[in-house]
Amino acid sequence: MSKVVQRGAVTPRMNITPLIDVVFLLIIFFMLVNNIVSEETVDMILPELDDPRTREVGEIERVVVNVAPEPFTRTGRDEFPLSHAGRPGYVKVGTGTNSRFDADDLKGITEKLKSAKADNPKVEVLMRVDGAIYYDKVQPIMAAVTAAGIETVNLVAYMPEE
Amino acid sequence: MSDNASQPESGEIVDPTIHHRSTRQRRGRQPAQVGALNLTSMIDVIFQLLIYFVVTASFMIDEGVLTAKLPQGSGSPVPADELPPEKINIRLAADPADDTLVRIERGSANNPVRYESFGELAADLDRLRYDPEIGRSDGIYEPDNPVIIEPQGTVRWQHVVNAFNAAVAAQYTNVSFAEAAKP
Repeated sequence: MSKVVQRGAVTPRMNITPLIDVVFLLIIFFMLVNNIVSEETVDMILPELDDPRTREVGEIERVVVNVAPEPFTRTGRDEFPLSHAGRPGYVKVGTGTNSRFDADDLKGITEKLKSAKADNPKVEVLMRVDGAIYYDKVQPIMAAVTAAGIETVNLVAYMPEE
Repeated sequence: MSDNASQPESGEIVDPTIHHRSTRQRRGRQPAQVGALNLTSMIDVIFQLLIYFVVTASFMIDEGVLTAKLPQGSGSPVPADELPPEKINIRLAADPADDTLVRIERGSANNPVRYESFGELAADLDRLRYDPEIGRSDGIYEPDNPVIIEPQGTVRWQHVVNAFNAAVAAQYTNVSFAEAAKP
């Protein structure tokens, strides 16, 4: 008794299991990377330089000091980055809990950086400051950084275009 | 046992993954087997490549640093009048009509040199630098002379960093910031 070959009854199916595997991997990957990157950086528009001499950040022991502007909309500032009230919103020093300070909490910023320097004497500071903030708001924060005994302060700006 | 069960024909190599059929059936099925390409591994690899390029293209590419050695100790910058006399003062003032613009001056307050752009400032600072290595001996400032940037409080940070960048571009090594000047 031979089997009757039933054509047409088998509907073609795509095996999407590996696709799902890979897509989930992608999702996990981006979630992790986003967390790591956003942990150190705060949304802001950095200074736009004429003929920038900025260099890439090497492998250094670093603490990022973010001076964030008051909340702004990207659309409002894309064309004129300096159209902003010029006041800082908050200061974020390094990562982790209690890394966020008020802009006038200079003592807190100094203390946080002092402990970072105690952990690692070679630590360098990266100052990420929004280009629109007034100098008299930034200068006390820089003074607070140097008061912690930090020797090298790196001012962050955009790289030259290739 | 049905006629399409695994049953090696005489002389054929036995391969457990291949479903052997009778010669008649094999001949009948052959056109349907052509074109069964396994795309899965290719998709895997393409997605991996995609991840790689997306990641390397988007994060932190734009940001670089200008390194500043700031004065130590008291926490407040050294007053400008305590520095050696050969200092270069760069004053930045906000435009009264539009505080996103900046006015750039160098030298004494009585007789300042004005600049229209930071590119002009960088070129002039470079011209003033003493540099016998390139055959220029009439420059009046050594590269390690202090360059002090004195912005008014209402000058935007972008202009301050731009002035710093101009001094770095002119190869001065000792650039510092003064406290915010009163307008």
